[in-house]
Amino acid sequence: MWRNSKPYWLVLPTVSVIVILFFGGLLEGLAHSLGYFPAAGQLDFSARAYHKLLSSKDFWLSLWLTLRISLLATLFSGILGMGISLFFLRNQQRKSRISLWLQGLMNLPLVIPHFVGAYIIVLLFMQSGYLARILYGFGLIQQFEAFPVLTNDPRGWGIILAYTWKEAPFIALMIYPVLKNIYSNWLEVAKVYGAKPWQFFIEVVVPLLLPAWTSSCFIVFAFTFSAFEVPYLLGVTYPQMLPVLSYTLYTNGGWERMPEAMAINVVLTLITGVLGIMAYKLSRRWGMPGGRS
Amino acid sequence: MNHLYLKGIEKGYYHSDSDSFELNIPQLTIQEGELFALLGPSGCGKTTLLKVVAGLLEPDRGEVLLGDQTISKIPTEKRGLGMVFQQALLFPHMTVEANVAFGLKMKGISKGVRLEKAKSMLKAVGLSGFGDRFPAELSGGQQQRVSLARALVTCPQVLLLDEPFSSLDPELREEMRDLLKGLQQDYKLTTLLVTHDVNEAFVLADKIGIMKQGRIMQIDQPQILYENPNSPEIALFLGARNVIYGQLSQGVFRTGSFKLAVPGKEEFYQQSGWIVLRSENLKLCPVPASTEFSQINRDLILRGSVVKSVFSQGSYHVTVQIESQSVNLSFPADQSSKPGLGEALELTYDPQSLVFIPEY
Repeated sequence: MWRNSKPYWLVLPTVSVIVILFFGGLLEGLAHSLGYFPAAGQLDFSARAYHKLLSSKDFWLSLWLTLRISLLATLFSGILGMGISLFFLRNQQRKSRISLWLQGLMNLPLVIPHFVGAYIIVLLFMQSGYLARILYGFGLIQQFEAFPVLTNDPRGWGIILAYTWKEAPFIALMIYPVLKNIYSNWLEVAKVYGAKPWQFFIEVVVPLLLPAWTSSCFIVFAFTFSAFEVPYLLGVTYPQMLPVLSYTLYTNGGWERMPEAMAINVVLTLITGVLGIMAYKLSRRWGMPGGRS
Repeated sequence: MNHLYLKGIEKGYYHSDSDSFELNIPQLTIQEGELFALLGPSGCGKTTLLKVVAGLLEPDRGEVLLGDQTISKIPTEKRGLGMVFQQALLFPHMTVEANVAFGLKMKGISKGVRLEKAKSMLKAVGLSGFGDRFPAELSGGQQQRVSLARALVTCPQVLLLDEPFSSLDPELREEMRDLLKGLQQDYKLTTLLVTHDVNEAFVLADKIGIMKQGRIMQIDQPQILYENPNSPEIALFLGARNVIYGQLSQGVFRTGSFKLAVPGKEEFYQQSGWIVLRSENLKLCPVPASTEFSQINRDLILRGSVVKSVFSQGSYHVTVQIESQSVNLSFPADQSSKPGLGEALELTYDPQSLVFIPEY
């Protein structure tokens, strides 16, 4: 009996902490979003915060901006991550110094924290940043203002850039082993049976890679969708991404706006959950035996 | 003409002095419709040669010709070959039918036609009704059948087989050999098989090439090869258990105090070399050869004592010490009781079956 249950008892402390903090926090947030705030003497449950939120133009603008930024950042990281993986794969035999140096450079974003990454993006891409100065130095732009606004811009390109730079190596790292396995097992077979490289990519690599690629893209999406520090550093005051809006409402809006802030977090969790289920279904449908072929 | 001709193929891998390998095939012809087996131990270069033929490896030098046309510069995907690998390597996300039809799809053949052909090929390999399944739902043997169907459905100019049955259990392997042989003959396919399994090569091949360290040592029909190996290594590789080094002079082979009459080889005088004395050609004398009832030529009698005796699969495998030489023989268990250690035995042999390989 003890022998069978021993592993569960051993992991119980860790699991308890995770469950209490994660689900406890989630439940508390849900309760707060429903107006249950014992500290403020509010003990009734109501959907007032949700009603107010859903009828607010600011919320919809923020949601649209958050979705747009997260989707674009995920898409760009996904494509770039696959490119990096393919680059690693092509160069796996080559051990030249430049190839190793490039591989190291591509892995670099993995060890740099997000807020440092955001700061690097600011330094590089702001209108008086390094890139603008280089272009100005070469006479390619006549004044700094001619450089496009890429940081703290209302469309969120700076945030997209920061996340793409930071998450592409993560996706590459996640899909590289799968890609390597696909190429080492099936490339020769496909070639023998007449597949050109692009046909092999479409017919074999994409369907087999899709589950791993979708999962890693979803992780990136979920993270980007609910992350705070990069949009806070690189975003504008209006419209704000949802996590920033939630933070602003919570810290600057007084007791009466706190349920709205929590309602935003609940909406973020719900959307992430729904998209997670969709990603799972998609990868099952397109990438697994029993799916489309 | 779809005969395959390899001319001056060289391919080297150089890592260090002790770890380098060079494939060197001056010439090799595989006739149209022939099943040619390249037989050799692991690491002798047979798969490298197969990959050179397939275009998966580029040779350092030499040419691969199909009929009169050189295909060395043609990329793999345009060579029109079929290949069965050691593992089935089916595409796991495709149904069995889609796997079989893959080559046809790459050729741009319409869906209806290719699925029809895939169905009939699945029938030919005994897998009718399996078309909608996925590879993971099949046994290893069934997967290899699908792999074979995938290779055959494209009507390849040459079929390449890279130890296709080595991952299957013995019973299944035999079944697959029969299937392959039947299909190869039905479709009259020029086939190149590489294997390290002597039995597989002998069962399947019309002709066998023995490979060692990147070179083909001997090519011939299976029986001729078996009966006339041109080197002691080949004789040993093909299963001969008594390959004895010594000197042959005027019809008598000697090594130490061991003597063997080799009638018909009187032309050799003090010639060093190896005698191949097959264990199946050594027989127990039915009655003591020293008695007057024995009709056995006394020159062909060997006397020794048993040093090892093992029963396996209906036969006794016995090692007999004859003078300075130990000799192995096998005989059916029903011919005699199990010889005990130290028991004296009299053996005789068929002198015509002896092979002498001179040392040059």
